[in-house]
Amino acid sequence: MHYEVEVNGRPRQVDVTRTADGFAVVVDGRRRQVDVARIDANTLSLLIDGAAAAGGDRPGRDGRCASHEVAISRPAASGGPLTVFVGTAPVVVTLDGGRRRQAALGHRAAIGSDAALRVIAPMPGKVIRVLVAAGDAVRLRQPLVVVEAMKMENELRAGRDGHVAAIHVREGVSVDAGTLLIELK
Amino acid sequence: MKKILIANRGEIAVRIIRACREMGLSPVAVYSECDRAAPHVRAADEAYPIGPSAPRDSYLRADKLVDAARRSGADAVHPGYGFLAENAAFAAAVRDAGLTFIGPTPEAIALMGSKTAARAAAQRAGVPVVPGTAAPLAATAAESDLVRTADGIGYPLLVKAVSGGGGKGMRTVAGPDDLSAAVAAARSEAGTAFGDAAVYLERQLVRPRHVEVQLLGDDHGTIVPFVERECSIQRRHQKLVEESPSLAVSPALRRAMTSAAAAVARTVGYTSAGTIEFLLDGDGRFYFLEMNTRLQVEHPVTEMVTGLDLVRWQIRIARGERLDIDPDAALAPAGHAIECRVYAEDPDNNFLPSPGRINQLRAPAGPGIRDESGTGAGLDVPIYYDPLISKLVAWAEDRPQAIARLRRALGEYLVTGIHTTLPFLGWLLAQPDFAAGRFHTTYLDDVLKTRSGRPFGEPGREVEEVAIIGAAIQASLARGGADDAPGTALRPADRWKTQARLGALRKGGRVGRGTRW
Repeated sequence: MHYEVEVNGRPRQVDVTRTADGFAVVVDGRRRQVDVARIDANTLSLLIDGAAAAGGDRPGRDGRCASHEVAISRPAASGGPLTVFVGTAPVVVTLDGGRRRQAALGHRAAIGSDAALRVIAPMPGKVIRVLVAAGDAVRLRQPLVVVEAMKMENELRAGRDGHVAAIHVREGVSVDAGTLLIELK
Repeated sequence: MKKILIANRGEIAVRIIRACREMGLSPVAVYSECDRAAPHVRAADEAYPIGPSAPRDSYLRADKLVDAARRSGADAVHPGYGFLAENAAFAAAVRDAGLTFIGPTPEAIALMGSKTAARAAAQRAGVPVVPGTAAPLAATAAESDLVRTADGIGYPLLVKAVSGGGGKGMRTVAGPDDLSAAVAAARSEAGTAFGDAAVYLERQLVRPRHVEVQLLGDDHGTIVPFVERECSIQRRHQKLVEESPSLAVSPALRRAMTSAAAAVARTVGYTSAGTIEFLLDGDGRFYFLEMNTRLQVEHPVTEMVTGLDLVRWQIRIARGERLDIDPDAALAPAGHAIECRVYAEDPDNNFLPSPGRINQLRAPAGPGIRDESGTGAGLDVPIYYDPLISKLVAWAEDRPQAIARLRRALGEYLVTGIHTTLPFLGWLLAQPDFAAGRFHTTYLDDVLKTRSGRPFGEPGREVEEVAIIGAAIQASLARGGADDAPGTALRPADRWKTQARLGALRKGGRVGRGTRW
């Protein structure tokens, strides 16, 4: 089975084949033998050969066999990236299926530029302070608005340099998750 | 006392239920709409709904809580921390209903709840306070009067809410030009948050530590202070890591601080569990900051180094029993304990709350580890409350081993489905400054400001590789289906293993999760 995988902005080519001993997985030309045990629906125990033999039908064994547990957390909406926990370390992984679906919907290009221009409430809460006015020049990561939720005051920041195009809320109003608060240009 | 209603939720409700069980008392839970399936409801003997999810409609409704206590036939109420724990009117309502409030008297709560009155009480006890105004600022004070008052205290200074807490209604002022704007902002924030717009001024110490003294008082006049807790690791005035003892406190300083704490408590006739907070400057001088008239979030670190159960003692004191703790033992820590607070927040996105469904949760265990959790897999972290998932506590013989244990345990803690502060905590505990004890109350804010935007748990190349392999195998299995029931190695089963497996089944052995064939 062939997959195109993206991690940390880098595309990777992956092939998975069942073998007599488990799985042979080739990542960007590097082949590794993997013994797999399922722990539950989202968790796998992997024993991965450390050696990467060049060529040949079977991977070389250098005697080292690394043990990893991976837990795969699915996004609420299918098609988005997966979070794969290696042990307990989270790694965001996009499988090709997910990317193609996004591209088909025409979202991919939009997410890159549009998301940075729109400041959206990530959770329901109350607007405590608006820190900028329409027309203000703002810098990347500059705090724009403070929303109180879960007993905490949360600063929402600019996703890029720009100017404030519009402010859609005022101090004191309650907002739902997903409410557009501020637009930049 | 036979039955206790716990007027709280989350990990602290579970903690109190455990103490009830160990004492043969029947625990009663209350719950809001979104908490029906919460662990504290399932762990209790009885549970009563108290209204919609918003705190003001449920956990802050004294009338509904007292009513639930009456319906259940409880004879006492434990408030936990937060919500109504430091609300004198609630303590009075419980008492007026003929029930025992497991905490201090309403009078003590009211007195120490006013920051300016508490500072006056500390001064009566001969304990130094941070230089500041003795009374709240007059609401009508002219700007020139404010500036004159501030000049007498010195800059930089803090404007603080008289009824405040948790960093709200607080502003830093560098010089006279910023003063009136800061006073106005603090007043408005305090009015919204606490229903009391009164503020006062206090000098801001340079890089102080936050060191606090836990104490217990009984109805017979005995006050016992405990070895200090170090709580200087804070983000925006919120404690994130607490430990006991403090590296900055010598035995002589410990005697001085704990005696001062006991003197303040004695002055106000304090009973039950309480905490005196101090600021400690670089020269070993300490100043009374405030008193918390409740059990604190970080009480487990004191329990770990003293071997005592503070919740059990709260209940015993409420029953009128005498404190018979050896005061010397309470000041002699056995080993070292560190607690870190695991929150449902995204540390890589300015610590924004990350509510939602927890898919998987696997808590650490093993030597010296204590996990105080109030949630679990399959449950939602609600948007309505403090997003604390768990308090993870490590105990060991000394501080370096306690840090090593806590780091080991953080590496075992798996929470999927939402973002958590686990990667941040792992990063923090690996900092040389933390290991050396070189920190103060603004250390963390300073470090976070200068840090680049790199993620806290940045995966290495090999970890990325393993993630890719895992995701690809999972995807190919999802397509292939077939022989991948839990607990099985995914390869063609050979006859010998099949026979062994059948044999185990015949003998009544369980083929469960994690079984390898």
